Order: sequence, then C-alpha cells, then structure tokens
Amino acid sequence: MKIIKKYYFILLAISVTAFTSCELEGGESLNGASTNSISDDLSRGELPQAMSGVLSDMRNRLNTQVDVQSIFGREYYYWTSSDPRFEGDVVTGNLDNNTFYTTSPWGSRYAAIKDINLMLQGLDNTTADFSAEEINGIRGVLNTLKAHEFLMVANNQYTNGIRLDTSDPDNLGPFVTHDEALAHINDLLTTAATDLANAGSSFPFALTSGYSGFDTPSGFLEFNKGLNARVEAYRGNYSNVLSLLDDSFMDMTGNLNDGVYHTFSLAGADIPNPLYLALNQTSNVRVAHSSFVDDALPNDSRANKVVERESSVEASGLVGTHDVFIYQSNVDVIPILRNEELVLLYAEANMASNPVDAVMAINAIRNAVGLGDYSGAVTPDALEDEILFQRRYSLFGEGHRWVDMRRFGRLDELPNDRSTDAVPVAVPIPANENQ
Amino acid sequence: MNYTFSLKVFLFSIIFIPLLSFGQQVTGKVIEGATNQPLLGANVIIKGTATGTVTDFDGRFSINVENFPVTLVFSSLGFETVEVVVSEAKEINVTLQESATGLDEVIISGLASTVKRTNAANSVATVSAEDLAGTTPAQTLDGALAGKFTGALVSANSGAPGGGLSVKLRGITSINGNSQPLYIIDGVYIDNSSIASGGINTVSGAATGGNPSSQDNATNRIADINPDDIENIEILKGASASAIYGSRGAAGVIIITTKKGKAGKTRLNFSQGVGFNEVINLQGQRNWTAALAESVYGEGALYTAALNNGTLRDYEKEVFGEKGFISNTSVSMSGGSEKTKFYVGLSRNQEDGIVKRTGYEKTSLRLNADHNFTDNIKLAVTTNYIDSSADRGFFNNDNTGATLGVALTNTRPWDYLLPDENGNYPDHPNNSSNPLQTRDLMTNNESTQRFITGGTLDINLYRGDKSDLKFVAKAGADHYTLTGTVIFPKELQFMRPDNGGLNGVSAVSTTTNTNTNYSAFLVHNYTTDNNLNFTTQVGLTNEQFSQNVIRVVASDLIASETNLDQASNQTVNQFRLEQEDFGFYVQESINYQDKLIGTLGIRGDKSTNNGDINEFFYYPKASLAVNLHNFDFWGDINVINRFKPRIAYGEAGTFAAFGSLYTVYGSSSIDGNVGISVPSTRGNPAITPERQGELELGFDAGLLDNKISLEFTYYKKTVDDLLLRANIEPSTGYSFQWVNAGSLENRGIEIGLNVAAFDKGDFKWDTGISWFKNESEMTELNVPTFNLGGFGNSLGQFQIEEGKSVTQIVGTTGPGTPVSVLGDAEPDFQMTFNNRFEYKNFTLSFLWHWKKGGDNINLSTLLSDFGGTSADFDDITLDPNGVIPNGEYRVNNGIFAGNATPFVEDASYLRLREIGLYYSLPTSTLDQVFKGVVSSLKIGVSGNNLINIFDYNGYDPEVSNFGGTGLSTGVDVMPFPSSKRYMFHLSAQF
Repeated sequence: MKIIKKYYFILLAISVTAFTSCELEGGESLNGASTNSISDDLSRGELPQAMSGVLSDMRNRLNTQVDVQSIFGREYYYWTSSDPRFEGDVVTGNLDNNTFYTTSPWGSRYAAIKDINLMLQGLDNTTADFSAEEINGIRGVLNTLKAHEFLMVANNQYTNGIRLDTSDPDNLGPFVTHDEALAHINDLLTTAATDLANAGSSFPFALTSGYSGFDTPSGFLEFNKGLNARVEAYRGNYSNVLSLLDDSFMDMTGNLNDGVYHTFSLAGADIPNPLYLALNQTSNVRVAHSSFVDDALPNDSRANKVVERESSVEASGLVGTHDVFIYQSNVDVIPILRNEELVLLYAEANMASNPVDAVMAINAIRNAVGLGDYSGAVTPDALEDEILFQRRYSLFGEGHRWVDMRRFGRLDELPNDRSTDAVPVAVPIPANENQ
Repeated sequence: MNYTFSLKVFLFSIIFIPLLSFGQQVTGKVIEGATNQPLLGANVIIKGTATGTVTDFDGRFSINVENFPVTLVFSSLGFETVEVVVSEAKEINVTLQESATGLDEVIISGLASTVKRTNAANSVATVSAEDLAGTTPAQTLDGALAGKFTGALVSANSGAPGGGLSVKLRGITSINGNSQPLYIIDGVYIDNSSIASGGINTVSGAATGGNPSSQDNATNRIADINPDDIENIEILKGASASAIYGSRGAAGVIIITTKKGKAGKTRLNFSQGVGFNEVINLQGQRNWTAALAESVYGEGALYTAALNNGTLRDYEKEVFGEKGFISNTSVSMSGGSEKTKFYVGLSRNQEDGIVKRTGYEKTSLRLNADHNFTDNIKLAVTTNYIDSSADRGFFNNDNTGATLGVALTNTRPWDYLLPDENGNYPDHPNNSSNPLQTRDLMTNNESTQRFITGGTLDINLYRGDKSDLKFVAKAGADHYTLTGTVIFPKELQFMRPDNGGLNGVSAVSTTTNTNTNYSAFLVHNYTTDNNLNFTTQVGLTNEQFSQNVIRVVASDLIASETNLDQASNQTVNQFRLEQEDFGFYVQESINYQDKLIGTLGIRGDKSTNNGDINEFFYYPKASLAVNLHNFDFWGDINVINRFKPRIAYGEAGTFAAFGSLYTVYGSSSIDGNVGISVPSTRGNPAITPERQGELELGFDAGLLDNKISLEFTYYKKTVDDLLLRANIEPSTGYSFQWVNAGSLENRGIEIGLNVAAFDKGDFKWDTGISWFKNESEMTELNVPTFNLGGFGNSLGQFQIEEGKSVTQIVGTTGPGTPVSVLGDAEPDFQMTFNNRFEYKNFTLSFLWHWKKGGDNINLSTLLSDFGGTSADFDDITLDPNGVIPNGEYRVNNGIFAGNATPFVEDASYLRLREIGLYYSLPTSTLDQVFKGVVSSLKIGVSGNNLINIFDYNGYDPEVSNFGGTGLSTGVDVMPFPSSKRYMFHLSAQF
C-alpha cells in the first residue's frame, strides 16, 4: 500500500511538471541585433557601429568588381586554379546573369546601400539628442557614400540600368537608365554637399584612418565634390566638373596619392586587402596584360605597378609575364578617390575648351611619374588619346580603364588575345532581380 | 484504493489459480536454437485460452492442463513461434529458432505503444543487429544502413574517416529545412548536427567564391553511436508513420533500441576485428612523355631529367595509396536476475585513413539496466559514454589551391615534392601548396565527448480481466562537447608571408550541445467479449534543445605555438540555439480479432521556434490494416497463407531553421571599430513549419507457409508550406529571404521479397530482393524559379522550378543558349540483393546494392583539366565528332563555351556493399578444448565495398561537396576518396 502511494506521488509530480511546462517562454533571436533596432530609432551609441558597418561593407567583394573590370579593360588577368571562369566567361565576355562575377558586386553594393538606408530611416525616427548640425553631418556622409555605391553599380551595369529606390524590400522601385542613374547620383551628392556645409565642425562618429584629412564636415565636403566631379565627367558636363574640382581637394602640385581610402587589417572580424597577392604565385595570380608592359614609356615610374615574374604563367592560352603589384601587403589601403584622378579629370574637362590648362594638368602628372612634358598635338582628339593613356597608367587596376574606353566609345580598341575573347559593354542584370 | 484491491486479486489469480485447479502438469524446457542455451522469458500459452506461463532462468516451465489434448504455443520476441500438440502430461523440450521473417516482432505504432508486425498498417522497416553489423562492421551507424531497407537513399559525402553521410527517406522532403531523419535512441532525441570547424574556410577560401558554403564537409554526429550496441532499428519513413513525432517527424524517424540485459547466467562476449582499408578507385595519371610535358608546360627537359633520375612519381598514389589499419575490439556482458538485468558494452574502434595522418578512433561504454520494483513497476535505464576523434585531412573545394585534392590536380610526375633529411619541403613549382607538406603538417581534428542517458518508467496502474491501465514516463538527455582543432603551421608553403600567407593559422571550435526530452503517457487497454480490443493512449511531450558553438580563429602565430593567444590576430564567432517544443498526443487503436486493425491519432505541437510560440500545430494520422487470412472465408489451405492490405495516412512537420524569424545584423570590423552589417538572409516573423501529408498503400503477403513473404508499398507524400530560403531581389540588400512558398510531391514504390529458399539438413539459404524508386515534383512554387547547390549554369546546378522534378540539374549547353535540363539527382531506381547461406558451421552472407541512374555534377575532372593532369585528358570520348581530346573538350567546349553537359554525369553504381564468411567452432570441439569455459567461438573474414562497378569519372559516385544538407548532394569537387575494407574477425562467448 505504501509503495503504491509513493508511486502515485511520483506520478503526480511528473504530471504536474509536464503540465507546468505547457506555456512556452522565450523565442529570441539570440545571435545578433535586429535590423529594426537601427531603423526604428538610431541612438547615439548605435551610430558609430552602424557607420562602421557601412564603411566595412563598402569593401565586400570589392576584389570581384575590380578584377572583373580590370579584365574587361584588359589591364590584367586574374586566374585562380579553383575557379576557371576568370579565364573563361569574364575574358570571353560570355557573361552569365546568375554567376558570382555578376551577382556579387551587385549584391554587395546594395547591401551597403541597405546599411545606409536603415540608418537614414533610423535618423528620421531618432529620439536621440542629435543636434541639427549633427543630423546634417550624418545625412551628408551617408548620402555621399550611398552615391558612391550607386556609381559602382552603375559603372558595371551601364545601359542595363540600376534600381534607385530600394528601401522597402517588398516594394522596390523601377530600373532606371544609365543617364537617369547618373543624374540621381549627382543629385544625391549635391544635396549631401548642402548638408555637409551645414554640419558644424565635427561629426558625432568616427571615420576610418582611410579618411584622414577628410573626417570633418569641411574635409568630407571636399571628397564629396571630387566624387561629384567624377560623376559629372561621366555625364560630359565639363563646366560643372571644373567648378566641383575647384571645391575639391585637387592639388596640381600636391601628392597624387592624397585622397580617401578603404582600410584593411587582419584583426578580428576585419578583412585583409583582397587585391593583394604575393609575387610569383602559381595558383592565384594577377598578371598584367602584355600591352600594359609593352606600351609603357621609358622611365615611367607607374610601370612599377607590375613586376616581372621569375617564370611566366599560362592559363588556357593566355600568358602572363608580370605580376600586378599595386598593393604590397595584405593590409595596404585601396583608393576610393585620389588626387591623381582629379588632376586628370581637370585635364579632361579642359581638353576641348581650354587645351593649355589640359596640357598643364597632363604635364603635372607626367613630370610626377618621371616623364617629360607632353609634346604631341594640342587637338581635342590628340589630348583625348593622351589623357586616356595617362589615366590607363595612373589609375591602373583601380577599375577605370573599361569605363573610360566605354564612355569614349573606344571599347573595340581593347585587345583580345584569343579568338574566343570579347569585351562586354555591360554586366547583365542579376537573374534574381526578375527583370 | 480500488485499483490496488483489483491489482491484488489479479496478481493472486495469475499466481495461485493455476496451482489451485485440479489439472495435470506439463513441464519442460525451452532452448534457444542458435546457442543451445536455455531461453528465459518465453511465453507458453494454451492455444485458445488465456492460460499461460513464462519460462524461468533455466528455460523451464510448467503449466496446468485440464483437458487433453491441447496445443501449447511457445513464443518469444524475435523467435519463430512454435506450436506443440500435447496429449498427456509429460516433459517436453522445445527449441525456438530466431525469426527470419520478422513476423513475430513488434514494431512501434504510437509514442507509447507497439503493434505486432502482422497487424501493422504501416510499412515500418526494421534492421536487426545481425543485419546492421553481422556481415561486416561499418565505420558508422548511418553508413551501416545503406542498402538495408527500401525507400532510403543513404549516401556518403566523402571517404574521409569519421563519417559524414546523408540519409534521405522516400525522396527529398524539404528544400531548405532539415531533410535528415530524426534519430531516437532508447527514447532520447539524438542530435545529428554537422558542425563545421572554424579555420578551414579561412585557408581554403571556399566560401569566398561562387557558393557561400564552407564546403569543408564536417561529420554528422550520429556517427558517434556504436553500431555494436544496437539491438534493433525501426525506420518510420514518412508522415504516415512518423506523425507521432509531429513537427519533427517529416523527414522520417529512425528509432534505435540498444541491447538489453538478459536474465540468467552472465554471458560475456568478446570480439576482435582487424583489417585494413584501401582506396577504391584511383584516377590514374595522364600518359606523360617528354614530348607531352614539353607541349603542355614546356618542361620536357625536366621530365626527361626526372625519368633518368628515376624520380618520376605518381603523387595520387603517394597521397591516397596508404593502407589504413583497422581494429575493432568489443566486449559486452549481459546477465542479471528476473528483477534486475544489465548489459555492459565496451568497444574501441580504430581506423587509419587511406591518407597519412587521417583516421578515426572511438571508444564507447554502455550500461543498460532494467529493474522490476514489483511486477507492476518497471524501470529501464540506458547510459552511453562516447569518446571519438576523427582526423579528416583537408579536402573538397577551395579557392586558394591549398587543399590536397586541388593541389594534386596541378602536380605533375616530375615535380619533386619530398622533404629533405631535415624535414624541409620544397615549394611546389606549379601550385601554391605542396600536398605532401600539407598532409604531413596540417591538422583537422574533430573530437567528441558525449553522454547519452535515458530512462523509462512503466507502471501498471490497474489490471483487470477486460482492461488494464498503464502509465509510462520517459526522460532522456544527450549532451556532448565537440572540439574542432584546425592547425596550419607557418612552415606550409601557402602560410608563408612571402607567398601571401597568413603566417600560420590555429583554430579551435567548441560546440556544447544538450538535448533533453520528457514525456508521460497513460495507456488503456480494453477487450470486449467478442475480442474487440481498444488501446487508448494520451500523453504529453516536452523537448529542449540547446546548442552553443564558439569558433576562434587565430592567425600570424608566434613561433610554432598553436594556443589561440599566441598569435597576433584572433577572430571569434559564436552561434547559439535555444529551442523548446511542447506537445500532446492522443491515439486510439482498435483491433477486431486480429482481422481489422485501425488507428486514429493526433499530435499537437508548439515551439519557441514558431512566430507565435504558443500556437499549436496539429498533426493527425489514421490507418487500417485488414488481415484477410484471419477471416474464415480465407480457409486454411491456401498458397497465400497470409495477405494483409493496408492503408495509412499521416501528417508531420519540419521546423523552420532556428533564427529564421529574425533579420539580424552580422558583425564586422574596420579600422579597429566594430560594425553592424545587414545579413544575407532576410527573416520572416510569419514563418510556419512546413507540413507533410503522406498516404501509404500496400499489402503484405506470405506464401507457402511464409516461406516467401512479399511486401508492396506505394506512397505519395505532399509537402506544403515549403520552407524556402528563396532568392530575393539582391537590390534589397539581402540575397535570400525565408518564406513558406510552395509544395512538392514524392511518389514511390517499394517492393520487398524475402524467401526462405532452402532449409534441409545442414544447408540453409535465405535470400531477399528489394526494389524501390521515388519520383518528385515541385507542384507549386510561389517564388520565381531559383538555383541552389552548384556553381552556376556553365557548370550545372540544381534548379527549383514549378512542374519539374525537385532534383533536376540544369545548365546551359553553349554560348547564349537557354538553360535546359541536363540531369536529375534522383535515381531511376535502387535494388538490393541479399543472401545468407548456412552450411554446417559455415555462414556466408553478402549484400549487393544497385543504384540505377541519378546524376552528379562532377567538377573534379575539370579542375584536373585546368592543371593539365587529368588521366583521360588525351582520350577522345566526349566530343560527339570524335576529334577533340576530353581535357580540351571540357575546357574549351565545356566551361568556356558555356556548356555544362560534360559535367553532369550518370552516378549509377553496383556495389558489393558487404560480404562475410564465418565459421563457428562446433560445440563438441569447444567443450573438449575449453572445458565449458567458452560457449561459442566464431572466426570469419569480411569486407565492405569490395566490388564497385560504375562508369563515373571520379573516385566514387557517392560524393557530396556540400555535405548532407538538403538538395546539394552529388557535387564532386576533389573529395577525400572512398575506400574498401578487408577484415578478419574472431568472436567468443563465455
């Protein structure tokens, strides 16, 4: 009898335990902050972290975009023993709309734009004690960076167009033409410039050391203007280019490498410079296109951006004799905008209207790299040739050559080493955009 | 206290009434056929009555009989039932043979109930200990299941030691949700995660290319379970049977029962197996000559020099040519009294891989105890401790040329890669890593310490003439710590800073996982006068899951130190999972005279993993079996002595992956500042579990007195509210979003035929053939067609598309061509052929497994083509015009032409999965030699995968670069090659 009672008791206890666990509790994400936490109300404490997220994400898959553009522009080849498409599709111009070389640069840039949009929403909803100047500063920086990311996408997509309104994932805006995209980017930068001009003397967040000298509202404004000058040059609005360059950090006699950079490190969740490769590798190589070596002028120090290999490498009929060696370590910075480009934009903007100033700017570059003054014809056509040549060497491996040749209608001048090769005009719209 | 009173009456009646009646006694002994040992606990019943008894320790029984003649029915679980006609009181001896047909076994029918197989309405597969590992031991439990039952596709991801398998029951059941079955061992929910170690991807960069998977092929944790301890496995293949497991049952349930103690004399079993493994199939080398070396690489002179020095080397053989030593030792002890029984099993398995410095070691200790407090209160406790360690090498896809496989594709016979006398390895002249150096210096180890324990308490609350009531409570816990250790020393060619390396990488990944589960049931039985039986069960279940994964990757190591703090950079990453499910379960089974057996049941489940954590999801089931042969009209004399049509329907679910409700920032870092970054996947707060409904129809038949038994099953399962990690327009900033958006269907047929072909004198032959196939279709897709599990259209990939097979493989076939279907991973059918011959003391058994059809995406040869090293580079078999050699064809007319056709290959195989020949020493010899100390002694030889026939251009058509998840099986990117094993066995019972 006693024993039976004991078991009834146990039975009762088990049943009670079982029933009490009936109401479940919990159900948390556990592994990170929800995106709503930013977009619903951007706090002072979250601001620097969200900003660092933007600056960090701007670097994602940068290598894929730069490699692909550099191959299109026949600046260099990138081969990796484990992905044959860099020597296949990308060189033959036979581009798939659902392969990483199409989708990664697109997706990564729009992810950075999403980071920015969430912050902009959070800024609209903020209950933090930001001053009006601080809000202008945040918005000015965010829109400048957003314009930069849009420009990166537009450069790849060209006539295929891009989406501008992407803040509501369930209700995306339409695709717009290349011209509309550039006009919008120009607008964004112009509005941002106004914000930055009314942003007081400092930002309520830190930028990276890559923005050193540009990390105050007035400094950042000079970057904004320089970037806008690039956009206006792409649009052919050369008079605007000149006035924007005036307000930018362009310095004809200054260090050509002055500018704004992406930074890298090996610490923690940071990433190393993805465009760095050691010399004389065999499985993964970036090798200069032979024309870059062949066409280099004697004494041009920019020819040092490539280094002759101990032995040449070959991949499917393509040959490389020189390693690209722009970055000398895996923590080297990668430029976003440099003085050298601004000087050349100045030359370009003047080549038709004011050839003398154009030549002056060209010579500033030539002299800085160890070349004598320009001695060719001072006609717009001759200057265009010269400027494109200088841009090719000055901005080698920075994603300009293909875009430059395209905007001057000269893509057919880019060399194809194999009968199967061709230079594409644009990258297809990723399949998942369902266009 | 009415119950107690009735209980006493009942006890009194069964114990004393037989003694008090005035019949005559029949006594005797029951012997177990295989061992000639007394069989305890066998039932002896007078046919047509409820009078019966049970054999004791010595197998003895005595039963009172009032009127002769009577038929005594002798039965015991797992043995053939024997009927003996007795016409007078006397002593009789009966020998029970182990059941070959399995008709007498009971199989699971509810969470707290079982049903005799002859009455089951579901096709529940059973794998016995003998089937599982009796012919030859497999390395892992899931590996041992391949070819053992119908309706499954069991596929090894690679040949790496320590397992890594995918088990799919009746086709693909989920696209992005879990598609691996739930494992339950003695009532404990077992974790079967596959957890990637940190550090591998840091070096291989596999996830930085076209596919975000780390592709490093971790083992899945069911590999920890020791097959030697297993008594029996039951497989619920689809929702019609697995509805009882509700929202975790949709991918099927594999229910494992471990060995229990048997009362009586303590028995000690010892077995030792030794053997070796070797690679199944090397690819071989290109037919190099000086001229060829000159034309491909301009290295004709180097070739000639190496030829003259005798230093030409087959590096594939060098790396994969080892014979790995295997040793399996197992000791088990079983015994106890009628009140308390125990089983102790200790085993140690050791297996070296076919690559140096790879291998697998496992020690498992088990203690199972059963205790009867009273006749009405029973407690069963199982405990298992496992310590395992797997050295897995460095394989599969990478984007840095560092893995052994990819390095080999760039290695030519004249490359000199051997170390000097001081252990300095030369740099590979044609690749970023020297595979011999990598093999000899790197470490990729997974080690697990795991404790699994469970208990079941059975209480008979009430027993009457017509009804009884039972309470069953179960509790279980599965806890393990998994440590992944990855070390790439700085000496490695690709680690050196002058080669752009990270100057040494050391990574430790620690996973702590705890599953606990509790359940309690009341089971009520009621039998009416005309033998209509009702079994009612109601119960509650609660399961809790907790996982914490911490990965720390350190790079730029100090000297040769590997501690994580001895480095200049550390990256930390943590993943946590906490989930609790709560459910109830009600089931009613009705059995009319073993003629009609019907069941209705429902399970309700809620979980913290759902959007509304307290919303119940309901999973019903219903089934009916009709034993036509038990009806009078069937008659006794019939070729078909048993015929049972059956039908069952049930529903079960699959949870959304943990965290899919939320859109959660990832963390990033720049310039020393921590950042938050949008994730690639957008969460969905409205996500619900996906729901599978399965209808199963079939019949079981026995012919010629059950000498031939035939099982036929047709099933159709529909999965609705499919959980899809669907593509979202990437301009949203996300790449994927979780949605419930679609339905798929699997239809299939399973046929099993078992024949006791011959049994006369010294010779016995049992044979079995099974044939099964599955077809799937995406019946509805509410998101655009999308791709997964591959590397793009020019290389072939899977495509989820409405109206098409779920496992179709698509790709382009030339420049600018539209995407078209190039293959399908689903086999046309599978077939197994299983035989067992016994002659005197010899037993020969073997199992053939034929998988017909089913395609792979084979990129391994392409990688070798890029290295110029493919064995078939100069053969001309691919070009339809018979002009272009294969290597060039795959490159120029394949990938460069946007033509994926050469990469989609038929992955059919026919393999002799298992073969074993054993000899048992005769009892007389044993008695002479060992004077009764050894009661049985068996020696034998066996093998795994000894014959493999396939026309597949790779190491093995069973392969998966992406592991066992979802659809992405069958992608071949330089895997660890699979091996065959040869074993010698000795086992003894004391």
